[in-house]
Amino acid sequence: MPGMNSGLNPADPTLVSAFRSALLHQGAIAFLVIVLLWLAWATARAWRITTPAKTAAAGADAARREAAAAPRSGWVAGKRSASLAGWGRHSGGPAEARGRWLLRIGFGTIWILDGILQAQPKMAGGLASQVIEPTAAASPSWVQHVVNWGGTIWSYHPIQAGAASVWIQVGIGVWLIVAARGPWSRLAGLASVAWGLVVWVFGESFGGIFAPGLSWLTGAPGGVLIYVVAGALIALPEDAWRSPRLGRLLLGGLGVFFIGMAVLQAWPGRGYWKGVIGGQPGTLSGMVQQMSTTPQPHFLSSLLASFGSFAASNGFAVNLVVVIALAAMGGVFLTGNPRLVRYAVWFGVVFCLADWVLVQDFGFLGGLGTDPNSMVPLILLFSAGYLALTPAPQEVSEAAVAGEVIAAPELSAIGSGGAGPEGAGSAGGGSAGGGSAGGGWRGRGAWTPGELGGRLATASARSVAAVAALAVVLIGAAPMAVASVNRTADPILALAIEGSSQQTDIPAYGFQLTDQDGQTVTLASLRGKVVLMTFLDPVCTTDCPLIAQEFKEAGVLLGSADKDVELVAVVANPIYRSVAFTRAFDRQEGLATVSNWLYLTGSASQLGQVWNEYGVAVQDLPAGAMIAHGDLAVVIDRSGYIREELGADPGPGTTSTQSSYSVLLTQYARQALAGS
Amino acid sequence: MIRRAVLALLCAGLAAGCGAQATTGTAPVLQVLTAPLSTSLVTAQGTWAVAVMGGSAASHDNFWQLFVRPTGASHWTLVTPEGVADNGGLVATGGAGGASLLVGFRPSQGLSFSPLAASGDGGKNWTPGLLDADLADVPDALAVAPSGQALALLHDGSIDEAASAAAAAAGQWSSLTTLGALAASAPGHACGLAAVNAVSFGLDDTPMAAGSCLRRGVAGVFADSGGTWQAAGPGLPAAFGGDQVQVLGMASAPGGTAVLMTAGTALLAAWSGASGWTVSAPTATGAVVASGFGPAGSVWALLGGRRAEVISRAGGSWRALAGVPAGTQALAPATGGGYDALAVSGSRLSVWQLTPTTGGWARVQVIDVPIQYGTSS
Repeated sequence: MPGMNSGLNPADPTLVSAFRSALLHQGAIAFLVIVLLWLAWATARAWRITTPAKTAAAGADAARREAAAAPRSGWVAGKRSASLAGWGRHSGGPAEARGRWLLRIGFGTIWILDGILQAQPKMAGGLASQVIEPTAAASPSWVQHVVNWGGTIWSYHPIQAGAASVWIQVGIGVWLIVAARGPWSRLAGLASVAWGLVVWVFGESFGGIFAPGLSWLTGAPGGVLIYVVAGALIALPEDAWRSPRLGRLLLGGLGVFFIGMAVLQAWPGRGYWKGVIGGQPGTLSGMVQQMSTTPQPHFLSSLLASFGSFAASNGFAVNLVVVIALAAMGGVFLTGNPRLVRYAVWFGVVFCLADWVLVQDFGFLGGLGTDPNSMVPLILLFSAGYLALTPAPQEVSEAAVAGEVIAAPELSAIGSGGAGPEGAGSAGGGSAGGGSAGGGWRGRGAWTPGELGGRLATASARSVAAVAALAVVLIGAAPMAVASVNRTADPILALAIEGSSQQTDIPAYGFQLTDQDGQTVTLASLRGKVVLMTFLDPVCTTDCPLIAQEFKEAGVLLGSADKDVELVAVVANPIYRSVAFTRAFDRQEGLATVSNWLYLTGSASQLGQVWNEYGVAVQDLPAGAMIAHGDLAVVIDRSGYIREELGADPGPGTTSTQSSYSVLLTQYARQALAGS
Repeated sequence: MIRRAVLALLCAGLAAGCGAQATTGTAPVLQVLTAPLSTSLVTAQGTWAVAVMGGSAASHDNFWQLFVRPTGASHWTLVTPEGVADNGGLVATGGAGGASLLVGFRPSQGLSFSPLAASGDGGKNWTPGLLDADLADVPDALAVAPSGQALALLHDGSIDEAASAAAAAAGQWSSLTTLGALAASAPGHACGLAAVNAVSFGLDDTPMAAGSCLRRGVAGVFADSGGTWQAAGPGLPAAFGGDQVQVLGMASAPGGTAVLMTAGTALLAAWSGASGWTVSAPTATGAVVASGFGPAGSVWALLGGRRAEVISRAGGSWRALAGVPAGTQALAPATGGGYDALAVSGSRLSVWQLTPTTGGWARVQVIDVPIQYGTSS
């Protein structure tokens, strides 16, 4: 897949250091924003309290918030105000549904864990090449094409992408946890859906559903797709949780899913029925044994290896158990019978945890694990389904009790801040709420500084925390969004390959050579221009064509400044050095029409002198090897002084590293132009 | 409940179908056969052999080597021309009446044209040359006439020509024909030309081309007569009328041209002369591992299963040699009608000679080649 693989070592110290630096930088900004937000909130509250006319209202408001914020234990949680300035207050009404609470806290925690995993040192440099690309490799070409788009962005901007993933996921996680109720909470669910889809498509290649070997055991249809479903459920109007209907629908869907996975698992010819195939491990045992080689504590790898051996010896029995278990769970979930479902849930928890440990190997080990795979999210999902099927009395709204099923118009009314619990009892807040609670942004009066201050003052701590979490998401996403529209790669990739350049201030050796048109060129004749110079073997098969493309691209990136820059290469082959070869090379690389490109050659002694003066070793190797020569680039200013010396090794020569080097060259050329 | 179960099964079936893969395929009309690049040839300077060495799983770490056994000498020497990575392959041909050798480097990795090297002193010194195109991946992709005129068969089936050795060195090649033009010519159309596999020069420095024909029973050998391509034979016995014929190699031979070809499952040699073409009796083929031509119209072929078949002179018959040593990449005609077998293991070349007394192979020389692993990574 072109573009996706930077080809660099994920543990490259330059990349790791830059990634850590970006995390600290963005973390500091996030911290600053949170502190400022807190200060603004505290100041607004203090200001309101000291305003006599509003003291009473504020006091009542605070009291209500205190009451709402009283800690709750067990499954019945929430019921705390998640409102900001009257937007979706919950000073009354039933408690947050236990299923919703479970999803919100569970998936919030998982998102935070995923964010922390994304902060692993090798993640920035390794995710695209060692996780995304291999995952997509088994999928059809159109999937690879789609995934490549995202993977290319990552490999072009690994630092920004890596840091963005950390802060977006941590932010969404915190947001889900702190925004218990109301629109802020539902928005958090939608954010989870949106980012989950991004991860599912680009990070998991659609969960591998288009690839062969799909199996529930290994995570199909993608752990993050479960996050998406959970996010969608959290984003539902809360009254949807107050009748058993949602639970029945959710469990029904899961029932179909489990039965589908059972059929898939039982499908013949996919290798799951055999522990050993042709002397090689079967599909499952092979996967498990492969997993056991992941860097991890010894007891875990031993456990996996043991299970792999067991699966190899008892392939049929293991698969039979899996098929029956999946089919049985699916069947029970479809019945919607609470008692049966409860047993199925307990069984599912044990079964899924066993799979999580023995097959999925926890999902996040090895330094490039991005999430705990599918089993824990799945447990949360069907547990939430069971809780939704059996709502506690304090969760049930009058409407739900009366009719069990809430009609669509009623749901609409609730969503738009009508008579539903989201809007109920929202008259508090003094001037802030204005009696339009739950009605969205419109109709809330002007956002004047005074109004804003009032709204801020009446916001609960959870609301402020939710805004802070959103800020964290945006702080992560903004640099990534900017980077994604930049078609050139981050120069950090080139720096990782070449190391730091050496700044110099020495006169460049004044050569006299012949260009590709047979004209004599001296360095003095280039005075007044910045010269980007390198050394290329015209019959080189590896580095030189790549370096030539990097120089060509640098010329393009220079734009109008290109006219003040000369791109120069000197032949680095003592045998194949005639003008015929420099011309052939130019045609090969599309350089024949580049007006400021010079490919210079000369006699063997002339070239040898230039190589010697610029410190480029050229060695003739035997037995069919190409000429070995040092990869060097120099930046010569308008006065003929060398300003920068840097390696020109194209490294893996991927599109991202090539682009990165071109950007680096461009930067140096601009510096030389500016300094002249 | 039943409705729900049916729905569940339907959905389950759909889900299961997501993991299935469909495969489709169509049989090609003609699978073009070409000979591998490993070969040998004989010039006035000596006997030359081309073999790939390295033994690496990474193809770019395997480099092609050129060896020479100078005329009158009994030992081989490594003479691979330097300055270019040859991991894409080497093509060699004798030139200027056998007084020199021209070598072409096949492009590999980031290189898309073919540097050349010529030697007139048995490989001690080389003069660089240029073919600004992609040389074909066949052993007879280059040909040099006694006059110095040169032909180059390109990867796309086109044929370029250079008027002289100097022109070839300077990269002054021009197009002689293209595969499309040759296929559209009367003889090309008559054979249903699908590929050009070899070039050579016939009598009077006539450019010749040979390839694979779709039409059964027809050998695609063509001669350029004053700018017009004409069928140049050979006619095959009626027994091969139902077989597709593909030329694997072609070289100048005393009095004309020698051709090695497959017809169905048979391997045939043919020689042109004043009285027309002579076609050998067939031998059963299989995978042709390597092939080459020797003096006096001799032909050799290495076949699968370490089989070796040779014809010692124009118009002769196939003769099986003793099973060749493991790793044999090329046979080279030796004095007295014998053969050397050049066997490769990693970076080591072993030269085996056929012992007339025992009829078996005896190792007579070992050359350790300093393969530069990693230089093209």
